[in-house]
Amino acid sequence: MDLAVEVENLTKRFGDFVAVNEVSFSVAEGEVFGFLGPNGSGKSTTIRILCGLLSPSSGHARVAGLDVWRDAERIRQRIGYMPQFFSLYDDLTVAENIEFYAGLYQVPPALALARQSELAEVLELGPVLDRLARTLSTGWRQRLALATSILHRPPLLFLDEPTSGVDPLTRRLFWEVIGDLAHEGITVFVTTHVMDEAEHCTRLAMMHYGRLIAEGTPEEMRTEHVQTMVEVQAHPIWPVLQALEKAPEVVEVALFGDAVHAELRCDLNDAEARVERKLQTAGVAYERVVAVTPSMEDVFVSLARRWERPTAAGADR
Amino acid sequence: MNYRRLLAVARTESIHNLRDVRSLFVIVVLPVVLLLLYGYGINYDLRNVPFAVQDLERTELSRSLIQHLVSSGYFQLRQVIHDQRQIAESLDRAAVVFVLVIPPDMGRRLGAGRPAKVQVLVDGADTTRASVAVGYIEGALLAFSGKLGAEYLARQGLSAAGGLDVRPVVLYNADLKSVRFIVPGLMAILLTLLSGLLTSTCIVREREWGSFETLVTSPALPPEILIGKILPYVVIAFADTLLSIGAGALIFGVVPVGSRLLLLFTSFLYLLASLAIGIFFSTIMRTQRLAILTTTLVTLVPTIQLSGFAFPIRSQPLVLQVISNFIPATHYLIIIRSLYLKGADLLVLWPRVLALLVFTVVLVTVAARRFRKQL
Ligand SMILES: Nc1ncnc2c1ncn2[C@@H]1O[C@H](COP(=O)(O)OP(=O)(O)O)[C@@H](O)[C@H]1O
Ligand SMILES: [Mg+2]
Repeated sequence: MDLAVEVENLTKRFGDFVAVNEVSFSVAEGEVFGFLGPNGSGKSTTIRILCGLLSPSSGHARVAGLDVWRDAERIRQRIGYMPQFFSLYDDLTVAENIEFYAGLYQVPPALALARQSELAEVLELGPVLDRLARTLSTGWRQRLALATSILHRPPLLFLDEPTSGVDPLTRRLFWEVIGDLAHEGITVFVTTHVMDEAEHCTRLAMMHYGRLIAEGTPEEMRTEHVQTMVEVQAHPIWPVLQALEKAPEVVEVALFGDAVHAELRCDLNDAEARVERKLQTAGVAYERVVAVTPSMEDVFVSLARRWERPTAAGADR
Repeated sequence: MNYRRLLAVARTESIHNLRDVRSLFVIVVLPVVLLLLYGYGINYDLRNVPFAVQDLERTELSRSLIQHLVSSGYFQLRQVIHDQRQIAESLDRAAVVFVLVIPPDMGRRLGAGRPAKVQVLVDGADTTRASVAVGYIEGALLAFSGKLGAEYLARQGLSAAGGLDVRPVVLYNADLKSVRFIVPGLMAILLTLLSGLLTSTCIVREREWGSFETLVTSPALPPEILIGKILPYVVIAFADTLLSIGAGALIFGVVPVGSRLLLLFTSFLYLLASLAIGIFFSTIMRTQRLAILTTTLVTLVPTIQLSGFAFPIRSQPLVLQVISNFIPATHYLIIIRSLYLKGADLLVLWPRVLALLVFTVVLVTVAARRFRKQL
């Protein structure tokens, strides 16, 4: 399978600050590649380098086999890019924005019109075509931005947090559209800080403080990086958290909604019993202890903590 | 170069301008304001200039002199002064622009073939008005003495061979029309203001909006973006140039004496140079405010200060005279003034036209080079 994106030891510095730190990964054609990480972890910076907007400080990045900086102009027609922040024209109508894009990407006018109505159908933009972009709410602006980024049918699509700030229905619609695009053979590179959206991706990479801390399929992420996960429900919850934090067999504890998720070093079979025993010894009240499949957020928290405490992480392995 | 992409940029840029109040103001209101300034200039052109007279001679000759002034249509007699002290008072009140004092021996001296000293006291506070007024009076008095001289000689049965020597006082503006001087100056100011204000924001604005990001990732090449962005302004600025030339001709009867083609060509060059300066600052500045401010400081202020619009260049310190050579407006002003007033041609003007051409080429090149598709 051909590689759509190849990144080797990519580093981006802003002055002394290292926004992207020795990152390497690759994306095969046809993948829905999820680029995860909290705010400020370097996702947008990486995507901007891949789109030829920023120069890499060191390392290499190739898109469709072409160097993203030296061959930037040759790559542009082959990629679509939806920036994190709305970057269309507020004083143009939705249709005028689409027409502008059709012009920039040389989509023939007749074809552009056909695609416009097709996209208006899929993204439900029909009723707002003649409205100024300024008057649209975030969800609609994001729909417009998505529509313009795929107007010219690029084989590779970069979406930077397409679902941030949109309502749940639009969010679902977006992932449906992304699924459809992938089905048509379009490679999608999508970033998000909402870990649970990762389930929609075929493969993932996790960023933390500019470093790539994990890579793999959602399944691999859950099974390889986190060993055993139990959920404890209790009222109050804080004593549970404190009691488990001190326990030697516990790798990580974190609040998860109104429960506590604890990652353990031991086998799944006796994990629940161990935690119960631990809590009883400590004299902490609890309601229920159950083994759970770790969510992507659990995976991230677990990985992130290990990276934040390099010495502890070393001891753990 | 791809025209589809270029036109997409140009079309979008045009829509921005049509929907932006500030741009519309600059495009539509500015020329109107300019027309009003023309009107103001016309006032300088002086019809019915109020004046007072102190006639110390009181002969038929002195009365015919006063009559000559009034019948010209330029002057209006407001007051006849009998007391010396009234002169200053009358000027102070600004009731009159000047006071004409006819000496008691005017007729005698003229009869003897000697010069007569007619005194003209002008309110110098409003320099523009005053200088125009003085020019008018001089012209009127010269015409009068010319007529007088001819009549006198005729009465004496002599030929006009040894007659009065009447020299024109106001050069290049023989019919004493100050609009002739003001129209070209305002044209330069208009072009500078318009081009600078419009283009200085067109790139930096995209950065502020965030739309620069999508523009940069698009396949549009830098020259396509740059030309696409400038194109609407070239059309607008040229239309406004034609408008001001037309307004000057139709409303105020000021038409270039020299080649109209050269006028259009040099105006076009100059607006390109001004647009390039605006675009240049738009690419290096990070906020719209800063871009507008810098462009105005760099183009408009020197245009007014140094280019001889407000002050003649020759009355300025040498350093400023040297600096003014590096300002496109200086050359443009000299060219269009020459075309409007003297009817000079390319044979005379070529160094100025060449300078303007060099400026335009250099500025457009610098702006294009500085423009990068980078955040
Ligand atoms: N142009 C820039 N100059 C300086 N710092 C920057 C710049 N762009 C991004 N950063 C910093 O780099 C870090 C990573 O930013 P970003 O890539 O936008 O993160 P993410 O998209 O994952 O939220 C942040 O701390 C941000 O402040
Ligand atoms: Mg981001």
